[in-house]
Amino acid sequence: MHIAEGFLPPLHAAAWTAISLPFVIFSARRVTRLMHDQPQTKLLLAASGAFAFVLSALKLPSVTGSCSHATGAGLGAILFGPSVMALLGTIVLLFQALLLAHGGLTTLGANVFSMAIVGPWVAYGLLRGTQNLNAPLAVSVFLAAMLGDMATYTVTAGQLALAFPDPASGVAGSFIKFIGVFAPTQLPLAVVEGLLTVVIVNFLREYSSDELQRLKFLPEILTAEARL
Amino acid sequence: MKAQNGWLLLLAGTLVVGSVLIGSHRKGAEFAGSDGQAMEIVAAIQPGYQPWFRFVWEPPTEIASGLFALQAALGAGVLGYYLGFRRGRARSRQQDRVDAGH
Repeated sequence: MHIAEGFLPPLHAAAWTAISLPFVIFSARRVTRLMHDQPQTKLLLAASGAFAFVLSALKLPSVTGSCSHATGAGLGAILFGPSVMALLGTIVLLFQALLLAHGGLTTLGANVFSMAIVGPWVAYGLLRGTQNLNAPLAVSVFLAAMLGDMATYTVTAGQLALAFPDPASGVAGSFIKFIGVFAPTQLPLAVVEGLLTVVIVNFLREYSSDELQRLKFLPEILTAEARL
Repeated sequence: MKAQNGWLLLLAGTLVVGSVLIGSHRKGAEFAGSDGQAMEIVAAIQPGYQPWFRFVWEPPTEIASGLFALQAALGAGVLGYYLGFRRGRARSRQQDRVDAGH
């Protein structure tokens, strides 16, 4: 789910764009530097972007009788660090806004903020946090990807609530209404995203350990043989 | 790794299939997008709100489903290429090691 074209008032649309823009520029520079310093990881970066591409294209059914899609943003954040995902997520969202009439250009900034900035940072923070608590890697990755996905939708609900406060109960009341629609639908999908992210990370640890060691990001966590 | 991944994929598949089964028992279940439902809430909170910007280009429904499939295919293609490439390389290295041992 992304906020549809024209559904944020101009002022809100402009503000979210202004907030997201520096993250995307920083991300573009990080990706350029990464390509330059470690060209060997290009293919893995492309695969992480591709993961987000597939997952955000698939509208999956949910227990609520409606459907939504996952974000796939957690994997790249776990492998390359959260700042790289701002660029990759923006590419996915642009593709959908321009070709699929899904999301929109005026709401791009808000959607980038929820899916390509907050989601990846939450995923990264959870990975780090749960690893510090010595959780098994699979559990860490699962929680990171799943809750990163939920965080995205929570932010979306917040963005809509700020733009459309309920006349009686205000922003908080409106937030409860929006999150009430998103959360139950999204929860099973977020679990699916968490499971699939663990599958990919398991695969990488088995077959791409040399590549993982080259990543400057968390190599010690991903390549540690002791915990599985 | 293999056993764990098998179980994880099975679990993910079961969740999706289970969701359809449970979801379609709900009254009025049409599997509409939750984004559409959110826009309905917007209309309920602020009945006069009109989107102030239209899509630059809106594909016809049938074309849109094709484009969604294209997006998924591009993603799955690149991801599958990477995974296959990596697995093949790991296998052939293992084979080299076995051959060198003899």
